[in-house]
Amino acid sequence: MDIVEVLYSAVRVSTPLVYAAMGGLLTYQAGMLNIALDGFMIVAAFAGIATAFATGSLELALIAAVISSVLLAALMATFTFRFKADIFIAGIAVTFLAYGLTALLLKGVLGEDGVFMSNTIPRFSPIVLPFIADIPVLGRILSGHTILVYVAYLFIPVIAFALYSTRWGLRVRMVGEAPEAAAAAGVKVTSLKFQTMLLSGALCGFGGAYLSLAYVSLFANQMTAERGLIALAAIFFAKGRPLPTALVALLFGLATALSVRLPQVTGAAPQLLQLIPYVVTVLALVIVGVRTARASNKHGAWKFALD
Amino acid sequence: MSVETLSAPTTRPYLTSLLSAVVNPIMALAIAGILGALLVMALGENPFEVYWLLISGSLAGIPNILVTLQMMTPLLFTGLAVAISFRAGLANIGAEGQMLVGALCAGIVGFAVDLPALLHVPLCIAAAFAGGMAWAAVPAFLRVKFGVNELVVCLMMNPIALLLTGYFATHVLKAPGPTNKLPDVLPSAKLSTFSFYSQVNTGLILALVLCVVLAIINARTVRGFEWKIIGLSPKFAYYGGIDVPKRALNVFLLSGGVAGLAGAEQVMGQFGAYYDNFSPGYGFDGIAVAMLAQFHPIGVIFSAFLFGALNSGSGVLQMMTGLTKHLVQVLQFIVVLVLAAKISWDWLTHFKKPSEITMRPSRSSTTSET
Repeated sequence: MDIVEVLYSAVRVSTPLVYAAMGGLLTYQAGMLNIALDGFMIVAAFAGIATAFATGSLELALIAAVISSVLLAALMATFTFRFKADIFIAGIAVTFLAYGLTALLLKGVLGEDGVFMSNTIPRFSPIVLPFIADIPVLGRILSGHTILVYVAYLFIPVIAFALYSTRWGLRVRMVGEAPEAAAAAGVKVTSLKFQTMLLSGALCGFGGAYLSLAYVSLFANQMTAERGLIALAAIFFAKGRPLPTALVALLFGLATALSVRLPQVTGAAPQLLQLIPYVVTVLALVIVGVRTARASNKHGAWKFALD
Repeated sequence: MSVETLSAPTTRPYLTSLLSAVVNPIMALAIAGILGALLVMALGENPFEVYWLLISGSLAGIPNILVTLQMMTPLLFTGLAVAISFRAGLANIGAEGQMLVGALCAGIVGFAVDLPALLHVPLCIAAAFAGGMAWAAVPAFLRVKFGVNELVVCLMMNPIALLLTGYFATHVLKAPGPTNKLPDVLPSAKLSTFSFYSQVNTGLILALVLCVVLAIINARTVRGFEWKIIGLSPKFAYYGGIDVPKRALNVFLLSGGVAGLAGAEQVMGQFGAYYDNFSPGYGFDGIAVAMLAQFHPIGVIFSAFLFGALNSGSGVLQMMTGLTKHLVQVLQFIVVLVLAAKISWDWLTHFKKPSEITMRPSRSSTTSET
């Protein structure tokens, strides 16, 4: 097993996780847990490949992917804020709606059942980075990815800057920390939450487009394979801070990359490595839970210790 | 808020609650039906023809009805599991994982223990119940003890269950042969089937009995009343002298156990062994079933029958039209989405202060607390 090769594929595998994690992180910072990341991505993946197949243009495909994902995010936000649906139930409904709808459209529009691929679909081509490619080991890991990979990692500092160095970011975090205080200070709470949800959709749109047009060049039912959930795990583990979240997403991506390679060498079960993100998150929740219970949580809406 | 809207629920509370229990689901179904018809039309098919295929494919003739009953059985268990927990204000969306673990337990006990059928079947069922309960214990305990959001834990426990059971079915206890499955359960652990048309088995009777028993518990016992009060207002329940953490833990475990029974029925009745990744998402369908039933155990029978019928009718779509069975999934989760919104509309009209709407676990401040 070539360690450099594994790291190279870890960067690749982590890319959709980074997109989804950055999207989910924005809503997390605004005080919402968006569990529909998978739904956003699958819709984008489908819209991307369908547009690419119809027009042959990658740019149009990317735009279609982002727009479709944002529309789904708008649907979810409308139900959550306008109709006051429980955000979790809405999230589950939107996710499974998206799974079902893409599978249905795959048959209805593209005429395929389960998997769609075609030689005529254009594909994002790998880019050799000018100077980095010459660095001995690092070059082989970092260079030769598609543009969407680099964009994903560029989003990390951009989002960190937006959240921590702009007025908008301050308000988003304020909405997340203390919505009542934010409302009292004149911040439009619902509007900001709506905005973060739409941005979440846009980022997942990139992630979905990456999945179907760059990571592989096909569409399969439920092809997001719970990447949204892993991204959510990363967000939870890193408490929604952009850089740590991205690092955790990279680690989870590495575990996934290893779970593909390691069994080929050692014959171990891939499931045990794939378990890592979920188990780590549950453990993190336990630790956080114990700590919060000790520090007598102030705004626990439904704690049992009422005395 | 005007006087009329405030007094409306209080004048005839029984009538309003009955109305909302029946009208809301029917409205949601109508909305889903119309949106589904538009979608079908957009895909170039005739919606009347498609809906007729769904109905005739599931209800025309004894064989079709038997298949519908077979498809309905797991939904009864998972729908009931979700309904029990939601009624007590606990959102157990981990029924999928609990079912898988229950199925694995039933599968292991089914082939590893040799007993006469009279003991073997109950033992397997008990094992499945215990397995589901154990899987539910993690979110339940974290919820009750530390106030950790049970939804997130449930979400994570689902893939863990899938991967772990997959590990058992592909490595630890894999039966010889190309398929990823456990060895077949012994004949003594099999649930008897009624006919050769479908795999419908005694599990269906168990599920129906369970629905009726739970309906009686809910309506006629102190325990059932306590669950309802905890769901409506844990604070009120606490000041009324109910041991809220203990009851909530019990409900959550019961819910997990019932979800585990779905796995037992699948393994002991329909497949005869634990197959890796056997579930097409019955646990998540259970959410739709429970919501359409408005969390009433008898309502679960109706909504499980409806979704079971749609599922069994959808097989025909693949052959006769350019659509797939996923149309049913789309309809199902439109219903969930509409009903999710509907629930809050009810709350809004029933409670004066908006702040009191957070009687169910509040989602708005969960991130700061967990």
